[in-house]
Amino acid sequence: MLRQILTSTLSAWIIASIIFLLSRSMSPANGESLGLDEHMPGTTVLTPAQQQAARQQLQSRLGLHQPLFYFSLSAPTSRAGMFLPRLIWHGQANQYHAWAEDLLQGQMGISYRNGVPVADLLATALPRTLLFTVPAALAAAALALLLAIRLAARPWWRPVVLHLLVLLDSIPLFLLALLLLLVLANPDVLTWFPAYGMGDAEGLAGWDWLLNTAYYLMLPMLSLVLVTLPGLTVQLEAALQRELTMDYVTTARAKGLSIRQIIRQHTLRNAIFPLLTLLADLLPAVLAGAVVVEVIFALPGMGRLLSDAATARDYPVLLGALLVILVARLVSYILADAAYRIADPRLQQSTT
Amino acid sequence: MNRYLSTCGVVLLLLLGCRSETQPVDNVRIRWPRDPETLHPHTLANALAIQAINLTYQSLLAIDAPNQRIVPWLAEALPVVRQAGNTSYLTYHIRPAATWDDGQPITAQDILFTLKTMRCPNLPNERMRATYGFVRSVQLDSADARHFTLVCDQFAPDYVLTSGDFAVLPEHLLDPKHQLRAFSLKGLDSADAKSPVVAAFVGRFSQARLEQSPGKYGSGPYRLKSWQSGQRLVFARKKPWWGDKIVPTPAPLLARPPQISFHIIPDQNTAFLALRRGDIDVYSSLPAPYYQQLASSATDQKQIALFAPDSYEAVTVGFNTKKPVLADRLTRQAISHLFDIPTLIKATQQGLAYQSASLISPHDKHYYNDSLAPVAFSPARAVKLLQQAGWQQQPDKSWKRPHRTGQALSLALTISYRAGDAAYEFSALQLRTEAGKLGIPINLRPTESSILTQQLQAGEFDLYLRSLIGNPFAHNFLPLLHSGSTGVNGGNYTGFGNASTDALLTELAAAQDTVQKKQLLRRLQRVLQQESPLTVLYFKRNPLAISRRFTDLGLSGLPPGYEATRFLVQQQP
Repeated sequence: MLRQILTSTLSAWIIASIIFLLSRSMSPANGESLGLDEHMPGTTVLTPAQQQAARQQLQSRLGLHQPLFYFSLSAPTSRAGMFLPRLIWHGQANQYHAWAEDLLQGQMGISYRNGVPVADLLATALPRTLLFTVPAALAAAALALLLAIRLAARPWWRPVVLHLLVLLDSIPLFLLALLLLLVLANPDVLTWFPAYGMGDAEGLAGWDWLLNTAYYLMLPMLSLVLVTLPGLTVQLEAALQRELTMDYVTTARAKGLSIRQIIRQHTLRNAIFPLLTLLADLLPAVLAGAVVVEVIFALPGMGRLLSDAATARDYPVLLGALLVILVARLVSYILADAAYRIADPRLQQSTT
Repeated sequence: MNRYLSTCGVVLLLLLGCRSETQPVDNVRIRWPRDPETLHPHTLANALAIQAINLTYQSLLAIDAPNQRIVPWLAEALPVVRQAGNTSYLTYHIRPAATWDDGQPITAQDILFTLKTMRCPNLPNERMRATYGFVRSVQLDSADARHFTLVCDQFAPDYVLTSGDFAVLPEHLLDPKHQLRAFSLKGLDSADAKSPVVAAFVGRFSQARLEQSPGKYGSGPYRLKSWQSGQRLVFARKKPWWGDKIVPTPAPLLARPPQISFHIIPDQNTAFLALRRGDIDVYSSLPAPYYQQLASSATDQKQIALFAPDSYEAVTVGFNTKKPVLADRLTRQAISHLFDIPTLIKATQQGLAYQSASLISPHDKHYYNDSLAPVAFSPARAVKLLQQAGWQQQPDKSWKRPHRTGQALSLALTISYRAGDAAYEFSALQLRTEAGKLGIPINLRPTESSILTQQLQAGEFDLYLRSLIGNPFAHNFLPLLHSGSTGVNGGNYTGFGNASTDALLTELAAAQDTVQKKQLLRRLQRVLQQESPLTVLYFKRNPLAISRRFTDLGLSGLPPGYEATRFLVQQQP
């Protein structure tokens, strides 16, 4: 386990470093992305010289005037080797070193756009996202489990439900969310739910807060549940059907157990393996939020933080958010491995 | 178990369905597409931030948008301008009634302090440093603390508005120890950011967290009550506020709604639903199809009033004049004739736009050159112009002309535009269709916004489609058309310009006399139409939907198109 954690940490560091270097080298943050060139009527248009001066000052304040990495490569000089690029050593005064040093001290930097520490932005956005992604993930997993068990018993309505699930699976999330909005929050149809936001929960506590939150987050949660449910259910149901063809099931039947008892007490544990991978995938998704849902329902969570940071080229925020998701992804792999070992003791024995 | 769950679900749905919210009728709720990010008055991050900053802070001058004129705000009157040699002097007097929230008077020292904070190193003030570099010093009046003169570089017409267009900050709250008084205005330009005095001031100033608009530092009529990042910003009216003492209240000092809130709804569909449900009162830049939908709905019309004031946003097509294929004006004119602009306006703007022959709006009767005709859709004229330009159509319908290098040039073009914009996409497709009929291949290149800017600056394009946003107060086209504004730092992407046009632009930028400015502008418009470095396709309107609860909306062509501080609740009959 320790080896796995160390390998994962090293992988996370390498991936984060690659993202850092690629993002900054592909498009250096310039005035355009930080508002200096933005067309704003009523404000004075800067001349080219003023823009250049402002850009230099901005880059200097943000530390972007420094070289990107410890070394850089430039075109070979005429005297030197014909094909070998020239290596220029920059020492520790580079952007990567500063970023890595800050990160090791637990600091993710400061947003270019508003000067707020990235950790604070993440700490604000993450709970808002978890507020609807965690219940949605739990509800989807629970519903998938219930539905798959019922479907595995091959009731008469199984083909209808399976077809419906496939149909649901084919609907993209943005369309599903819009459909829910147009049906359940539309003055022309039903106005059961609010169209956007999380409401004003100021001064609310306990049951009132819960009711208010549920009222505002019901449609976003429903969108996520409906989009996650088909995949989980169909996979689990298929795995259960496979298990039901095994010899031990025949033995159980011969012993007089009902199909429900067989599924719950025998086949479910074996059929759950494919589901573990899918559930492990839910963890980073839960943290990353769903950009589409957050945009459509105007929810300020991790998804929007990420997409806004990418649009504005706010690298510290972008990297901070990606780092959190990256860690979640690696943790989910570790947890999935552990879950496999618990579910199947044979794996534990083979690794010891 | 399942029955229990379903019952719970139904009960919950019914419970939730019964919820309703009531809002006071005189509060104004405005839809914003995104968070303003920062409300720091020196950063001016975007147009939304400026709208909010203007509620909490005040500058010496303001723009009376409905009447399109500059008016005094904190100042008692427009500045008195005096010129001597290469120096200009702009003298102001602050309104005697103007005070900070704690009752302290707003003085010339506050103006000087604000200018210094905009020049101080290591603060997020790069735009301000660049903009206000023309102010050399401030002459204070020992006899009158509210009287002062800005000593500036050689006069330019822009200085009148610019000299009074910055949020004034209180020195006694942000620099109680007067640390910045040790520096002159010019001295701060070269001050070392590491010097103990500067570092101490920067530390203290940063602690004020102006990004979050803490409220007590602005003299404006509103205070930020709450800011739920990414959700909403609520501004509450200050009571009492110093502007209330001025009777009758001039338009810039009107602050009627007790509360103005901005609701951040990124998605247009959701915002439209929210408007129709009555969750928001104002939706500006309403997509044209929604505007038409509301216009045809009698039910919605009872609650929502629709407006489409002019805007200063022009959609243009630019030509890379440095490319051999587009180096001559006849070819550029020919390509311009392949845009069917009335169809574009109908299809992409649902009629909410109008044609123009130049960069000046045709509704600006004074400066618009009405002797010019807008570019007409005419493939036949395009063919003639191409032939005049030396292009010869080949048997395979393609166009070629000899080049001085000896190799024949082929007429094949690429059009670049911001990806994801349906109007640009349609315009580019229309050009490709019409040009294709003549045998001119057009390649479409939708590009991500900031990459597109980089490509335009580097001259890596043939044609581009983009919006230009102007205003009625500035006729300085130097950054857009001067030959010195090309390259990485300029806005002259077309590469247009020669000694003659540069001289015309420089003269226009310095023109103070209205008659002279009118003559120069008309000349410039003629030159631009002849040379066609860029062609205006149309000027957009700003479709607006506002709740019928309100009257006196202060509609104008300047974004956001309305003045929320003026909104008056309509008396019910």
